[in-house]
This record gives sequence, C-alpha cells and structure tokens, in this order.
Amino acid sequence: MSTNRQTETPMVEITDVHKRFGNLEVLKGINLTVPLGKIISIIGPSGSGKSTLLRSVNHLEVIDSGTITLDGVAVNRPDIKGLAFERHINHIRQNMGMVFQHFNLFPHLSTLDNVTLAPRKLKKMDKKIARELGMELLDRVGLADKADVFPAWLSGGQKQRVAIARALAMQPKVMLFDEATSALDPELVEEVNQVMQSLAKDHMTMLIVTHEMGFARDVSSWAMFMDGGVVVEENTPDKLFTAPDQERTQNFLRKHLGSNL
Amino acid sequence: MTFDFSPVLTYLPTLIQGIGITLLIGVIVALFSVAGGLLVAVISIYTNKVISWPLRAFIWLFMTTPLLLQLYFLYFGLGELILIPAIVVGILGLGFHYMAYNADIFIATIRSVSDGQYEASRSLGFGHGATLFNIILPQALIRAVPQLGNNLILMVKDTSVLSAIGVAELVYASQYAISVSFRPFEFFIVIALIYYAINILMELGQAWLERQTAFRR
Repeated sequence: MSTNRQTETPMVEITDVHKRFGNLEVLKGINLTVPLGKIISIIGPSGSGKSTLLRSVNHLEVIDSGTITLDGVAVNRPDIKGLAFERHINHIRQNMGMVFQHFNLFPHLSTLDNVTLAPRKLKKMDKKIARELGMELLDRVGLADKADVFPAWLSGGQKQRVAIARALAMQPKVMLFDEATSALDPELVEEVNQVMQSLAKDHMTMLIVTHEMGFARDVSSWAMFMDGGVVVEENTPDKLFTAPDQERTQNFLRKHLGSNL
Repeated sequence: MTFDFSPVLTYLPTLIQGIGITLLIGVIVALFSVAGGLLVAVISIYTNKVISWPLRAFIWLFMTTPLLLQLYFLYFGLGELILIPAIVVGILGLGFHYMAYNADIFIATIRSVSDGQYEASRSLGFGHGATLFNIILPQALIRAVPQLGNNLILMVKDTSVLSAIGVAELVYASQYAISVSFRPFEFFIVIALIYYAINILMELGQAWLERQTAFRR
C-alpha cells in the first residue's frame, strides 16, 4: 500500500484473518484497511474467499483467527460469550450497512417499512420522523413513489435500491456490498450502480465485493484481487485493472475484460 | 317417508345452545392450538435436543393416536385424580390434538423462510429474538394460512367427537332432542347444514386472509 494511506483514519481494519470451512481454508491471512470515506473493491473468481471476507466483517461468518475492527472497536470478541456478545455484535452491526446479492428484503413489509423498521425498533425513532427519514432515503434511491408497495411488486433493480436505502437508514459508518448486482438482469445493473456511485460522491466508506470490473475501476480508491483465500495483488484501480503485476490477476482480468488488457 | 321439521323448531333453543357451545369450544381451541403450535414449533426448532425431543415425542403422541382415545384417557384418567368438567377435558384434548398438527405446519413454514431473511435482519443489528419476532414468525404465519385454515375447519368438525364424553355441543344437544322426538333425520339434516354454514364462513375467511397476505409472501 502507498504510504499516504497509512495516515488516513482507518474505518475497517482487517488483520491476519484466517477462516476455514472444515478442511478447506478459505481465508489464509488477509490484511486490509478501509480508510474513512474511501471505497475498496475486492475482485476475484468464485470461491476466492472474497464474499466470506466481507461476511466476516459483519460477523455473518465467524473467523478462526485474526482481528477485524470497525472504527477502532473489535468485531470478533472471543473473550465475551452469550448475551453479552449478542449485545456487542448487535451494536457493531448497527453501524454497518450490508447489501446482499439476493436483496433479502422483508416480503411481509411495505417498501417504506423495510427501510424504517430498524430505526424504529432499534433506535426507538418516532414513527413520524422514521417515515420522513424513510421517504428521504427512498427518494434518494429514486423510489419515493413505491413507498407503500410490497417487495413482490418490485423489479430486481428496485429491490436492491430499497435494500440499499434500508441499510442506509441506520446511518452506518461503512457500507458492505456483497455482489450487489450479480443477481440482476444486465439492464438493471446500471440503476443500482448509479445509486452506489451517488454514495461514493457523498464520501460513504464502502467495501465492495463485485464482478463489475468497469464499475470497480470507476468508483474505487483501492482495488484488491483475491484468489484461493489470499490477496494476490492490490493497487490503485488504475494500475490493477490496466497493468497488473501478477499473472493470476492478468489471467482473471483477461477473462472478464476481454481484449482490453 | 315424510319429513316433519316441527320438533326441530320445538328444540331450537337446545340446538342454539349447542351451537353456542360448539362455537365457544371452537374459538378457544383455535386460539390455544394456534398459539401453542407456534410456541411448540419455535421451541423445537430453536432450542437444544434435551428440550425439543421430549416435546416432539409429546406432540407425536397426539398425532399418532385417535382423538377419541385421547379424550377418554383425559376424561377417565384425569377424572380419577381430580374433578374436572367434561368441557374443560374436551378443550384440552382437542386443543393438544390440533396444537400438534399446527406445530407441524409452523415447523415447516418457519424452516421455509430463507436464511437470507435471518441474515438481513441480524446485519441491521436485530438480535436473535427480535429477528424471530419481527421477521421470521410473521412470514411463517402468512405462509401457514392455507393449511392452518384447513386444520381449523377439521377441528370445528371434530368438536362433535366431544359428545362422546358428554360435552353438550351441537351433536350432543341434537342427540337429546332426537331421543325425545324420534325424528333423527330432520335433526341430522339441520345440524349438517349448521356445520356446513359455519365451515363455509371459515372457508371464506381463509380465502379472504389468503388474498390479504398473498402479496406479502
């Protein structure tokens, strides 16, 4: 990493993280810093461990060793157990927004209620204020007119935009995107990318796992290529996507970008 | 043969009382068996085997033996120990019987809610219990509506079995009227129509509920 990155405030710090599923070690000592207001993209083939890494940050996967911190606070705390840990992790997660590949909107709630549920229940926000916040966020993702509609009536792109609004409603310190556009029809990818781009303009700290190479190159301040549970190469997106050092990176990008490389 | 429905009119107050008892038992058993079934399902899915296995064995006991036998066991068995009114025995027996069937439905519908729903809720910062309460169970309930409705209709019909232990519900009431009027067919026709009407209303209610929840699935 370049030296000026060391001086930036780290929002997420991942240090020597190991994770195995049975006999398969999927993360083999990963280090990564996501500085405040920056966007880090992780690319790599399926099974490279990139989604597992992102999910570990949200503690949806429990790492075996290493540390992950959010704004200086440890996410994984093997020293506390039971309800004390539950309280700890709930608090940590309230400061992270997670966006899933398959949206995972709550189908029994209206679009607006999807967005306002967490602030109402977890922050005890007044219903009227929550509604205003929800409408504001839906407007931001271009779906204010769908507030009272249920997720079943939305397209994939619209669902994902609502999911982003839902994650933003808790005013997170960092947004985690786990292949947010992978399940979308090609013509719906752009509308989600636009929302993510607008977040980037507002200096939202983001950690993005993606297959959208063009998008990653455009919005990221740092890009990382993972394969086989290790970071093969990381660099500024300009360098990583145009002149990667490693052969594995070159091969991967050649497949995904065609003859551009 | 000629029909004479005048005894039905004569004994109408008795029949109406029977309908009242049938509906009372139906409502209490519906609430008891749905709430209990949900509780049993949650416990058997989310706790350890030490708690969930005995509970499931208890549930299976009610699912694998005849309702009438269960009622006899409760009525004559419990009756040996404590003085307990037949209607209470009937409500308990029918309640546990349908609680078992409802629990089975809820176990299936809770499991059918995807892991992604659980993860999305947890990632927002909801705890395990809050996730169950706000996200998983409402969806499981919505998905259970069709089968639950069928079970409740079966249950209303099965209230008639309670006549065997002397609960004065609709069939028992009509048996009394038949024994003094000697007009069985007239009464059978009338009470069949009454069950028909009750269950058609329940069918309509179920269909309405399904329409109300279809877009929330």
